[in-house]
Amino acid sequence: MKKYSYIFLLIIITSWSACRNLDIAPKNIIQDADVFSTPEGIQAYMARLYSELPIEDFRYSPARGLNFFWIISPMSAITGEALSRDQTSAMQENSGVNWPVWSGCYGVIRDCNYFIETLPKYSKDFTSAQVNDWTGEAYFIRGMTYFALVKRFGGVPLVNSVLNYPGETIDQLKIPRASEKATWDQVKSDFDSAMNLLPDVNPDANDGSRANKYVAAAFESRAMLYAGSIAKYNTITLFDSKNNEICGIPAADANAYFLAGYNAAKMVEGHYSLYTKEWIANNPQAQYQNFVDLFLDPGSPENIFVREYQYPNSVHGYDAYNVPRQLAGPNGYSAEINPTLNFVDMFDGIPKNPDGTIKTLDASGHYILYKNTMDMFSNAEPRLRATVILPGDAFKGQSIGIWRGIYTGPVAGGISPLLPPGSKSQYPTTDIVESATADQTPYTLPDGSLMNPAGPSGIFTGDQTCAISGFSIRKYLDPNLPTSQVLENHESQTWIEMRYAEVLLNRAEAAFELYLAGQSGADYLNDAFNDINQIRLRAGAALLASPGSMTIDTIRIERRKELAFENKTWWDLRRWRVLDKEQNGTIYKVLMPFYAAQAGEYFFDARTDERNDVYTFDPRWYYEQIPQDVISKNSNIFQNPGY
Amino acid sequence: MNKLSFPVVLCCLMMITGISCSKIDNYPAPSATIQGSVYDAMTDSTVQTEFGGGGTRVKLLETSYSSNPTPEYFQCMQNGVFHDDKIFAATYNISVEGAFVPVILTDDTGKIITDSSKNIILKSTATVNFWVQPFLRIEWVSPPVMNADSSVTVQVRITRGTDNPSYKSNLTDINLYVSNTQNDGNNNYDPRYSKLTSYNGTDGNALLGQVVTITTTGGALPPQDVYFRVGARIASGLNRYNYNAPMTVSK
Repeated sequence: MKKYSYIFLLIIITSWSACRNLDIAPKNIIQDADVFSTPEGIQAYMARLYSELPIEDFRYSPARGLNFFWIISPMSAITGEALSRDQTSAMQENSGVNWPVWSGCYGVIRDCNYFIETLPKYSKDFTSAQVNDWTGEAYFIRGMTYFALVKRFGGVPLVNSVLNYPGETIDQLKIPRASEKATWDQVKSDFDSAMNLLPDVNPDANDGSRANKYVAAAFESRAMLYAGSIAKYNTITLFDSKNNEICGIPAADANAYFLAGYNAAKMVEGHYSLYTKEWIANNPQAQYQNFVDLFLDPGSPENIFVREYQYPNSVHGYDAYNVPRQLAGPNGYSAEINPTLNFVDMFDGIPKNPDGTIKTLDASGHYILYKNTMDMFSNAEPRLRATVILPGDAFKGQSIGIWRGIYTGPVAGGISPLLPPGSKSQYPTTDIVESATADQTPYTLPDGSLMNPAGPSGIFTGDQTCAISGFSIRKYLDPNLPTSQVLENHESQTWIEMRYAEVLLNRAEAAFELYLAGQSGADYLNDAFNDINQIRLRAGAALLASPGSMTIDTIRIERRKELAFENKTWWDLRRWRVLDKEQNGTIYKVLMPFYAAQAGEYFFDARTDERNDVYTFDPRWYYEQIPQDVISKNSNIFQNPGY
Repeated sequence: MNKLSFPVVLCCLMMITGISCSKIDNYPAPSATIQGSVYDAMTDSTVQTEFGGGGTRVKLLETSYSSNPTPEYFQCMQNGVFHDDKIFAATYNISVEGAFVPVILTDDTGKIITDSSKNIILKSTATVNFWVQPFLRIEWVSPPVMNADSSVTVQVRITRGTDNPSYKSNLTDINLYVSNTQNDGNNNYDPRYSKLTSYNGTDGNALLGQVVTITTTGGALPPQDVYFRVGARIASGLNRYNYNAPMTVSK
């Protein structure tokens, strides 16, 4: 009997242990159920998706790519908008120090696909509205990510489901590039899905940091305008071995894309508006202040989609890198973005020659003299002052002094140009006192007073930490940030990736392209005219007189002025396929103020960049080089032409 | 363990390490050569180009293991001659790319019309020449001449090198490049003296076949060796330049 009880005990022990299920998920890895069953888990997933959204924000530069803190070669210094001491030529985008754009984008696409496939399994935990909103956001983010890829590389592999290895073989994973058209259509389809699923207002965050229906529409207008421009203006084509057009879109498709862009932009109308909180008619000062504040007011009705920063969790260093030299913060950086004269020349309200360039000489060929440097710009368009710190303008309670040197020569009968027209030589050293650095030796003026040879913000001949173009950047700089706080990795202004002004400009351009193509369907010409005049009215610029006076360049120049220094212009110049013509052995222009000691007044010399930095955009850069490691991994990927 | 074991162990260790030193687990370095020239089919002179990524390049496809190999490239020299003696002996399809009608000509849907690429089995040295139609042919009319003010004037004649209507698009740029080295071209010139001229629309086409006279800008040239070269291009594909051969001022 005792023997049986031992056996019985043994059976009990072994069967009990068998009750324990050993096939459990690892406890130290977060499971789908942990993430997908609560709104907090979804929010965490979304936070990652949005933070990886590839947009060219305060942490982007072409030299170092997306999401990198060190922005000393700013994007505006490769477009002709600005000169920078750390960027001396045209360039194509580098893959990225922190976040290589190809592999980074496919990571985001995979995360979106995973979300779209997994969320339905947990839909019982949520309302159908919640499921739709979140799914719509995932489609929006995937569309944005394909957009980021196609604008760089042309057609790319379309991966719309989660790939599994080793579930699929290596050969199955070697997905070839889709045609460029198919890729743009994918962008549109993702934005359309987002628009169908998303509500008018995002219930989780309505401050513009997360998508809603009209955010998706606004980006669709940008993307479709881009695709239409490629179809119309691109001349570089590439076919794969199956005759797929992986670079280039047939010209016949241009109008369909322009129409899609126009319709998407029109959808946004009435849901956002231009920022005019401080705008007063016929009051340039108020219009200037309004345009300054538009970039800093979190409650702006113009903000459609933004990326928010918060010290110390998510930060940038825009002010530290870009304040004028005399306001440099403790890190010692300053004046990385110095707007070119080519950019300033686009604006109204400054003295102009008949060819549209700035007028610095009087009828007799002598320099025009001004009591103060700002006198030249007394009637400048308010938007220009709000975008660019002009020499002598006020910022943070200081006059930003910018002059190149003191002219000590004779002034009777007028001062003749220092150099022959078009000369790329250095300034003569006779009759000019200048300073190599910010440590200046004052010069004694004829009246016995002392004056520094160069302004406190430049221009110094041996040290480029100053306004090397004669101008400094104003847009986005925080006027209330104390100089002691002007630090790298310390700033937290919100980046406005999409604002209503761009939607209007998208609409105007798409409409005008449709008008040029002879399309009927709406009064496209008047639509474009009204859109542009809304922008110009708010900017304080003279309104266009009539629709008939418009050309495509009217719209493009308006766009370049309005969206300047917002990391948009490079993409525009690329999609118009004009960048290789603008940057064709180009040396950008600068405006050098001098103080004429014997006259006690300033004059301006317009010339080319003293550094003689030549910008030449290689046309093959219209399609960026696909990283070599991508082709090594996937032999079905064809490299873009010329690499 | 007896006393002999230590020398034995040491001996064994030395043998093992000694063996691993002698083995070279590697292939011989590539040592085969591909050389040749890109000739103008009409004149039989080589097609001038620029050094570096913007110039003519040779494209190699190793076709023995895959119908879709990843291409390898090497650049042509400035004078249109190419030579690479660090290539693996293998089976290659060879073509050249540059400012001339493509060697593999396709229509606008990517279908191949004509294919003049060469297939070779490379063993040691292969000489492969191509005869192409350059977009533009630039010839010196007279050598560069020094003016009284120490600027320099050149005269060239630019003509089309092809009758293919797809590659007769508008002439967009005629540039006189000035450099203190012979490696003169769109990627290497002195911006102070070089004279760059762009043409809109069809404006530049009127200059085809004419004697084009160009003078350097920026006043007197520095007293040193200076090379002159004219580059011109049409709006086609990657907008590559055709050139004439660099020259100095005739004394």
